[in-house]
This record gives sequence, C-alpha cells and structure tokens, in this order.
Amino acid sequence: MAKRLKAAERKASILAVAKVLFADKGYHGVSVDEIAKRLGVSPAILYQHFLSKEALYEEVLSENSAKRESYIEAILSEPTDFVSVLKRMTKIYVESISGDPDFLRMELMSALEGSQTATSFFERRWRSITDYIEYSLNELKSDHVIICSSPKMAGLMYQGMLREILYTKYITEDYRYKDIPLKTMIDELVKMFVRAIGKDTK
Amino acid sequence: MSEVAQELDARGLNCPLPILRAKKSISNLASGEVLRITATDPGSVKDFESFCKQTGNALLSSIEDNGAFVFDIQKS
Repeated sequence: MAKRLKAAERKASILAVAKVLFADKGYHGVSVDEIAKRLGVSPAILYQHFLSKEALYEEVLSENSAKRESYIEAILSEPTDFVSVLKRMTKIYVESISGDPDFLRMELMSALEGSQTATSFFERRWRSITDYIEYSLNELKSDHVIICSSPKMAGLMYQGMLREILYTKYITEDYRYKDIPLKTMIDELVKMFVRAIGKDTK
Repeated sequence: MSEVAQELDARGLNCPLPILRAKKSISNLASGEVLRITATDPGSVKDFESFCKQTGNALLSSIEDNGAFVFDIQKS
C-alpha cells in the first residue's frame, strides 16, 4: 500500500512539473530529459510512468479535463434568463482559469504548435460557453426578443473578448489594464455584449 | 417500469445544453412521468447524476448504448 501511494505521488509530481514546463515552452519546447532534470530523477523514471512525451502531455490535459467546469449550478439557479445564466457560466469559467492559469498558456502554445489533442481539448472547453450562446440566441431570435443576425458569430466574439481579458490579466499582465479589477472587466464585457446583440432594443 | 412520456435527442450537444434542454422538457411533464434523454457528451453521465440530485427528480437508469448515453429521468 505504501509503495503504491509513493508511485501515485511520483506520478502527480511529474504531472505538476510537466504542466508548468509545457505552459512555459510548449509541447515541442520541452524534452523528457528536461522534465526529468527539473524533478531530479532520471528519464527512465519518467518512462516508468508514461510511455512517451506525448502520453505525458495528454495526461496533463486529461487531468484537467477531469476537473472540467460544471455548469449545472449555473443552469439550475435562479434567475434563468439568458444574461443571468451567461454571467454565472462566465464566472465559473473565469474562476477555473484563475485557479490554474498554466492551462491558458498551454492553450496559447498549442494553438501555435497545432497539436490536435490539445486543440480539440481546449475547443471542447470553450464550446460550453459558445454553444450556450448560440443555442439561446437562436431561441431568443425566433421569439423576436433580440435582433442579433448571427448567434454563431456572437458566441465566437464573446469567446474572443473573454479570452482577451484572461490573457491580459494572466499572461501579458498589460500595465494599461492593471488597475481595472478582473470582475469589473467581466461585468463590462457582459454589458457590452448584451447591448451588441440588441437585447434591449425590442 | 414506467413508460417513457417524452424523448429528448441531445446527441451532438455539449454541456450544459443537454441539461438545459432536459430541464425545459421536464417542466412540461406531470409528476411521475418519464423523460428519456439520448446524449453523446461523455460528461453528461456525471452531469445528469448531479442534475437529478439537485432537482430531486429520479434517475431511473443511465446506460451506455453504442457510443450514446441514455438516461431515464422520472419527474418528482
């Protein structure tokens, strides 16, 4: 039992170190030797736990996937109008990113590197929000509540704006926006978005 | 076994859309009636467990069938 626990601990520490290195340098920028060196072990130890660098990378991603954001609370809580649910979903997503900004770096790196595994992983993560927007706006559109011409584009634009805020706060740490708290930025984003889809115009 | 009163095809939809649509469908059912949902998102297994726990509806069954997940939920 003690030995098994030790193996699990070793695996967890490999994953933690690998995540930080992949986030800093991308998949191609990190070698197994470097991860092993950082851990103070031989590469052979790493290969005892993971068959390849690719397998290790996938495990880093799937470990995060297991902690996937749950939006059930956002859907079931009151009030249930589109804007209130979107605000709650955004809050859940932002909290999840704030808790582990390394994944934001990995997302950026993987977009440049074109890793299929990573790209589809991050796409799935964003789709919860964009699909919700597209689905709900199509409904509101058919009920003539909004005048948005392309719910699909609206989802993409929202993703882009939200991602830019997160990049600004967690990656570039742009001094121009340093004094605006994250929460204020998100509130402002939702306000602008709601005006843009013409929610109050009819 | 209760008969299925309504079916919801949530295949191809990502979380949280299957939950959102199930919530709407269930609101149209009478107490005791069963909604059958078919989904393809693997996360939906956990999601529908939590959904039933939080809404008090009964998850009668949750099975995997040929790459799809089928849930029978009875309205409380």
